[in-house]
Amino acid sequence: MIDTLITGFMHGNAYAIVALGMSLIFGVSNVANFAHASIFGIGMMSGWWLGSVLGLPIVPTLILVMAITGLLGLLLNVLVVSPLTGRPTVAALLATIGVGMILDNVSQMIFDTPTRTFPELLPSHNIELLGVRFGTSDIVMLILTVIIMVGMWFFLKHGKMGQAIRATSQDTEAARQMGIPVKRIQNMSFVIASSLAGVAGVFVGMFNSNVSPNTGSSVGMTAFIAATIGGLGSMPGAVVGGFALGIVESVGVFIFGDGAHDLITYGALLIILIICPNGLFGGKQVLHEPMAGSFSGGARPYRVPKWLAPILIVAAVAASFLSSDYFSSVGIQIMIYAMAAMGLTLVSGSAGQVALGQAGPIALGAYTSAILVGQFHVPFLLGVVCGGLVAAIISGIITFPIWKLSGHYIAIGTIGVGAVTVALIRIAEPITKGSLGITGIPFPKIFGFTLFTPQFQYVMVLAFLLIELMIITRIRNSHLGKTIESIGNDPVAAESIGVRASAYKALAYAIAAFFAGIAGALMAHQYTYIDPSMFPFSMSSLVLTIAVLGGLSSPMGAIIGSIVLVGAPELLRFMSSGRIIVYGLLLILIIIFRPQGLFAKKE
Amino acid sequence: MRIYKKAVTAFITASMAASLAGCAQNSTFGGGTASGSSDTVAIAVLYPETGQYAEYGKMFKQGLDLGAEQVNSDGGVQGKKIELKYYDTQSDPKQSASVAPKIASDSSVVAVVGDYSSGASMAASPTFQQAGLVHYGFNNSAADFTSTGDHVWTPQYSQDDFQSQVADMVAEHAKKISVVYIENDWGKAAYAAFKKEALAEGLDIVYESSFLADSTDLSPILIPARDADPDAIVHVGYGPDGALVINTLRDKLGYTGPFYGGQITNEFISTAGENGEGTMLMAPFTADSTNPNAQQFVKDFRAKYNSEPGEFNETAYAAVIDLAYGMNKTSATREGVQEALETVEDFPCYVGTNTTFSFNQETRRMKNTNFLKLKLENGKFQIMK
Repeated sequence: MIDTLITGFMHGNAYAIVALGMSLIFGVSNVANFAHASIFGIGMMSGWWLGSVLGLPIVPTLILVMAITGLLGLLLNVLVVSPLTGRPTVAALLATIGVGMILDNVSQMIFDTPTRTFPELLPSHNIELLGVRFGTSDIVMLILTVIIMVGMWFFLKHGKMGQAIRATSQDTEAARQMGIPVKRIQNMSFVIASSLAGVAGVFVGMFNSNVSPNTGSSVGMTAFIAATIGGLGSMPGAVVGGFALGIVESVGVFIFGDGAHDLITYGALLIILIICPNGLFGGKQVLHEPMAGSFSGGARPYRVPKWLAPILIVAAVAASFLSSDYFSSVGIQIMIYAMAAMGLTLVSGSAGQVALGQAGPIALGAYTSAILVGQFHVPFLLGVVCGGLVAAIISGIITFPIWKLSGHYIAIGTIGVGAVTVALIRIAEPITKGSLGITGIPFPKIFGFTLFTPQFQYVMVLAFLLIELMIITRIRNSHLGKTIESIGNDPVAAESIGVRASAYKALAYAIAAFFAGIAGALMAHQYTYIDPSMFPFSMSSLVLTIAVLGGLSSPMGAIIGSIVLVGAPELLRFMSSGRIIVYGLLLILIIIFRPQGLFAKKE
Repeated sequence: MRIYKKAVTAFITASMAASLAGCAQNSTFGGGTASGSSDTVAIAVLYPETGQYAEYGKMFKQGLDLGAEQVNSDGGVQGKKIELKYYDTQSDPKQSASVAPKIASDSSVVAVVGDYSSGASMAASPTFQQAGLVHYGFNNSAADFTSTGDHVWTPQYSQDDFQSQVADMVAEHAKKISVVYIENDWGKAAYAAFKKEALAEGLDIVYESSFLADSTDLSPILIPARDADPDAIVHVGYGPDGALVINTLRDKLGYTGPFYGGQITNEFISTAGENGEGTMLMAPFTADSTNPNAQQFVKDFRAKYNSEPGEFNETAYAAVIDLAYGMNKTSATREGVQEALETVEDFPCYVGTNTTFSFNQETRRMKNTNFLKLKLENGKFQIMK
């Protein structure tokens, strides 16, 4: 057992050092920087390249890696994050996801894809303790973590620049009026944090020994959770969160096996957030919701004139019959994702809460319908509706404690909810067949007629989409919709006139989960095969991005957003390997230049 | 309002463009037989060119390109050249399902190969089945892969067959074993088959655990695996995770006993390095295979790429050769491919020691075959005596 604790501690140290950088950026710029994991990954790969291909020793390797990642951090802030200042933080959050996508693909193109051994820049297995070997590199990493944490803490607390950083993070506008060069401060924090990520990359590379351009994202995501557990923006919190998560993971995996890994990691996140809503060391968050009033306050959706709507619908139906099967098939994917995203106009648009775990309800809907229709021969339409209901009920229950949280903690909490849902599906093997997946899910069948061709499936999905569009639009315009919107616009005012904010947030989320579940069910019947690996975090981030891009104030926008984001990889198909990079770039540009979303105008 | 109009115009233009593009193609399924006007036939490839499985995609492409090149220099199929049409899906079901109809309606395509993962492959299968187009999933050993319909085939031997021979090999040298296996559809099925035979052989499985493909520290499950004091530790998984397992066992946990697992890829051999020495595994293919077909392939592969071929190169290469061989016995059409898979009894075999194989018409998989017992020595997997 002690050896398990030791390895957990060592691994936790790796998380801690990455989490430190995330927390610093969060503290200064209030940005949940999802590109940090990718910068860390680039640090790891360039460390590998410098150390093994060029054969440099540790010190020059570290210096060069810090230079590379520090520069990337600077570019990230200057080109992407800084132009988004003053905008709802969800914009920056999504833009950093786009940056991460670009960096990961560039890294793959530069460093090539195989897994390889990280050079032993420092001895990594020369010390043995209680049946576990570790090395000088681990000790150095440990000392480094402590030095960085203490140094950072002193610097922030007592250094002049550090005080400026803290002032900036507390109130950017006031800091600017006091003559603090806010831009420079933020640039500096990105450079420091990113070069730290580079250092972390080198040490984690030595610790893991096996590296590839894909390693960054999984370590990075866990480090993000560590930073959240510790309390976003807190240096000691990042360190404690990192070590705590490392130890909890290794003990949990020791007892339950690695199959339960995600459940342990994300379960720990949820439990901590329920007990300490601001993380272990996080200060009390300001009452102002960083996500609230986000896009809807500043924008009005375009209205589709009454005469145009039927024409568009007829055109959409006709298009599938006039064009190729490929068109219909891409159309189906677009519409399914639009359905999953549309509900978020209530959660994120009206109530102002970012939901980054929609893969959860989508998976629940898919599995429910697949099992009911496939095994119990329930009629297709009933199966789909049940998929929606189960998704709404289970997601609603798991998510319920989340609504008591505030700000970014909600966004990250929903990541946990999505991951825990999929992990539970994986574990519930007797019902879901776990990782084996479910095969032979029947094609959609309506009134005894099986919809084999893409055209018929397209029309059916379109019908579902239009019904959802109608329902969501109705809800938004109803009394209920206005109540939900009041919570998003001013939670304090809403509470003080007796609106139970968290209950309405939960209701809005349940509605969104219902439709996401239906989308998942339709997806299952189209693919005819599902397994848990088909519902990753990237699906959740795609769904939220669709909603934001289309315009959170506009249900119709979700369709436009989905045409752009699900359709674009298909439209860009001619450009082969550059495709995902261009896609990421497109995402960032739209976020910067169309802040209110594509299908909405500024007020 | 201005932007709105623009958006609508753009939308309408886009849908019109799409429909026009569509009209140029065949608009319904089933119109797929090669029209005879062209002197090439195409095999469509679903594969991950980008994304986290890109390394596999690259190995596939090397094998496929070599296969097509050889077929064409030997006169092609029924006088026509083979063309490979690559579609990058990132092994993502959403993308493979999207491109499937495009492939199905392309009348020059006579068969489809790929994708890497079962999820992505099986999301596309129904479309090909509907279109009467053979889906030849050369990498899809998932148990239910061929269940979609009679046009879905895989040259992959069944895991039941393979893993039971692995268990027999382990049982020759060990009584007590610890097993770790990868947590996905393939790993689950493979381990179930392994376990069944291992128990029948009287092996004592003293510890078992699955692991997630993206876990970076496997110590928490390898410590109890080591502490159970087994005669051997068995890994059921792929190359990168196999290297992680053996590196962790040897470097961090000081385990010195026998190790069965890993994968025949350069990636595994180079990442495991010294630690990999002595690794034993059962494999369908190795660069030193005594199978004459495999020897010829290895020679050609070295000549073209100046590197050692691995199993993923071989399966991809064989996929093109199989389809071409079949079509030459029937016709270079969609129906021809299906007919060939149903009737041809002597497809060239690169796996194990057999030189030909045929399909089990029930499972639409390669019939029983034998495999090679290998041991990693001096940085190379060598056939065990």
